[in-house]
Amino acid sequence: MKKALALILSLCLVLAATSAFALELKSGEGVYPLGSDKTITWYSQDSHNIHSDFADWHDSPFHVNLSKQIGVNIEWILPTTGADGATFTNTLLADPSNLPNIMEAYFMNNAQQYLDDEVIWDLTPYIQEYAPAYYAFLQTNPAYDKAMKTDAGQYYAFGFFREDGGWNDSYQGPVVRKDWLEECGLEIPKTISEFENVIRVFHEKYGAVFTTSFNVRFSQMGMSGAFGAYGNVNSGYLFYVDDGKVGLAQTTEEYRAWLKWFSDLYKAGLVDTDLLTVDDTTVKTKVETGLSGIAITSMGQMNNWNNEMEANGDGRPWIGIPYPTGDDGTLYSIFGGTGIGSITGVITKSADEETMKLCLRALDYAYTKEGFMFWNYGIEGESWEMDETTGLPKWTPLVADDKSNDPMIKYNGTTWSGSCIQATNLLYLKNSQASIDADDAWFYLGMGRDTTDMDRVLEVTSSHKWPNGVTFTTEESDELDLYTANLATYVTEQCTSFLVGNKDVSDDTEWNNYLNGLNQYHLDRVLEIRQNCLDRYLAR
Amino acid sequence: MAKSNAVINAHYKRLSPGKKIARDFSHNKYKYLMILPVLVYLILFCYKPMYGIQIAFKNFKVTRGMAKSPWVGLYWFEHFFNDPYFWRLLRNTFTISGLTILFGFPAPIVLALMLNEVRNSKFKRTVQTITYMPYFISLVVLCSLIKIYCQQYGLVSDIVSFFGGVKQNWLQDPRYFRIIYVISDIWQGIGWNSIIYLAALSGIDQEQYEAARIDGANRFQQMLHITLPGLLPTITILFILRMGSILNVGYEKILLLYQPTTYEVADVFSTYTYRISLGATTPQYSLSTAVSLFNTVVNVVFLLITNFLSGRTTESSLF
Repeated sequence: MKKALALILSLCLVLAATSAFALELKSGEGVYPLGSDKTITWYSQDSHNIHSDFADWHDSPFHVNLSKQIGVNIEWILPTTGADGATFTNTLLADPSNLPNIMEAYFMNNAQQYLDDEVIWDLTPYIQEYAPAYYAFLQTNPAYDKAMKTDAGQYYAFGFFREDGGWNDSYQGPVVRKDWLEECGLEIPKTISEFENVIRVFHEKYGAVFTTSFNVRFSQMGMSGAFGAYGNVNSGYLFYVDDGKVGLAQTTEEYRAWLKWFSDLYKAGLVDTDLLTVDDTTVKTKVETGLSGIAITSMGQMNNWNNEMEANGDGRPWIGIPYPTGDDGTLYSIFGGTGIGSITGVITKSADEETMKLCLRALDYAYTKEGFMFWNYGIEGESWEMDETTGLPKWTPLVADDKSNDPMIKYNGTTWSGSCIQATNLLYLKNSQASIDADDAWFYLGMGRDTTDMDRVLEVTSSHKWPNGVTFTTEESDELDLYTANLATYVTEQCTSFLVGNKDVSDDTEWNNYLNGLNQYHLDRVLEIRQNCLDRYLAR
Repeated sequence: MAKSNAVINAHYKRLSPGKKIARDFSHNKYKYLMILPVLVYLILFCYKPMYGIQIAFKNFKVTRGMAKSPWVGLYWFEHFFNDPYFWRLLRNTFTISGLTILFGFPAPIVLALMLNEVRNSKFKRTVQTITYMPYFISLVVLCSLIKIYCQQYGLVSDIVSFFGGVKQNWLQDPRYFRIIYVISDIWQGIGWNSIIYLAALSGIDQEQYEAARIDGANRFQQMLHITLPGLLPTITILFILRMGSILNVGYEKILLLYQPTTYEVADVFSTYTYRISLGATTPQYSLSTAVSLFNTVVNVVFLLITNFLSGRTTESSLF
């Protein structure tokens, strides 16, 4: 009896944990397919690229099937393979009279400007009637609703949401070679001192160093959270929010402590001196040849490392470990996000009112019960079927036996981003168990998936992030554009020099020179503008 | 025959300009036809886009289009000249470009002269093929090679440590960036750029060499007094053209090679333009157009100065 009770209790716990971000979606039954013979044009910057097995979207099941599911002809416009998506979007925008009807790109910050200039539709009067599922979905979470409208309360975009509420936003973090840890008789490091000790022991015993690809994996975050700081030297992550106040992390003493810790390691030869110039591929080669036993990378890359090492007969030694805390156990922030993407789908004024309504219906499909399944897994019986044991979808052999890279993107549209909701189960299906465990270690701060302290998880992973959905007025964005590029260059340049010891971070004159230099780049004004925008956002 | 030509010319001179053109056209219609593609090219790709220069004097927003964006006069130029990075960009652009001209410009001439002296044609062909090769490698691949060579355990470190130096990442150190840039530039272009000189060399009259040999000139004296003067017009023209692009530093290569730690010595006008336009989330079209326009104006000034000086001293110039 007791056993049965325990079983039921633990089952309930598991259910509670998996449904922490339970989705309640409206059904689209009876609405779709729409049966329209009209054609709409749909552009997607980086979200729904064609799988490399296909020449263009006419061969791609997802792109073709979406038309059939919705019941309207979709003419896809996608950046040329290998081209830079942002450049492609800018080229499209340069010809405002010929824009695609639907555009999925980074519109959020300048949305107000696009609305003022009548480039995109203000969807507020139509959204409830023509996109009821999406509207209902937004109402389930005030954070979602807040992010998807302007300060004036205008709806203009269909966003990207992660069902997991941010789990997959923490897709990179510290990793370590488990076999070396065991050989050296070390525990998994919890604090920053223990972390440093692992680096030192590995260096002594194997001549190994701490490695990472600075540009791709490190510049966004690093491990500054253990020092009570936020952010790293990458421009996109320059600004943090603390208690409703905007700040530049790179001006704080906490951040300086982090720079000092890292540059000391660098000076002592414990860090890979190539970190600034290497990419993922070069790091992989270094790791394979035993040049490193502790690193920062993504769950996907870690999986690649393990695959390569297994092929060489070295087992699968890499595991993800929680971000190290400060020695007193504090952890201010880690690489993560709120589960709301910065790519959104908008409807441009190239669509007349009738077409716009049609586009609303087309976009709304992704947020219906049926659309959610299609966008994540494709057509039932073709690419997925229900797994009886878990009650969740699983791939059919069509996807499961496909040996190409990320075969699911042939059939689904939520793998990267887009105007849709990404299912957590999709990420579980997509990644290896070791990768999932690694992400669990990072996101749940080592407390495990069934932690009851979700408040702390959310605080550390996302509460200090500058919100994606903030909108600038035309004047504000004009002024910010003037200063931001130079400011970012300056901060990146100076902090990197401190990091690798070209400048001495312990030297007060050098540090103060750097801080004083910030005035030249209008930091005060930038912070002032951003504070205003944030205040408006919080007041929405 | 000569007389009839004179008659035609005299008759031709009396015609009105319109008739002159019409007559010239009917006489040389095939030549005009041949020049047509070039004209179309120039108009379509060089003159038509020039209307875009006005972007530099407007607060241009793509979504508003050219006509609706307001005029702002010299605002962007003022902003640029007051930019904290302006002097650094100017200094780097001139230094990198100057170093490339100083070392990169004579290199292919020296190679051509040396190849000219080689008598074994098999060896000559082999050397030529090997030196051309880097030119045909895509710049992205070439830069990845440079990055790998410059790593801590790369080729450069191996060579340096053989002579007793330390192993380090060479691209991260601001002291070495320009050296790496110039050397790799020579490596990539030396073979290809020597072709035009080799062509010019084959045009030098062989009888001059014979005469010099009879007068008792040795190989070096022949090179100094016959080959080099024979090459001089080509060298001058190429030099003037090169000066006309003094601010055009190969930005793709810098973009691929520079790091935040080397911005200080590597950041040039074109990379700055890239960062504020294509590299930014909201491209600043007006500012980047203003910077490019400034770039072009300086280039033209340098072209004119060099051309003038060259016309004065060597009597060979473009116009």
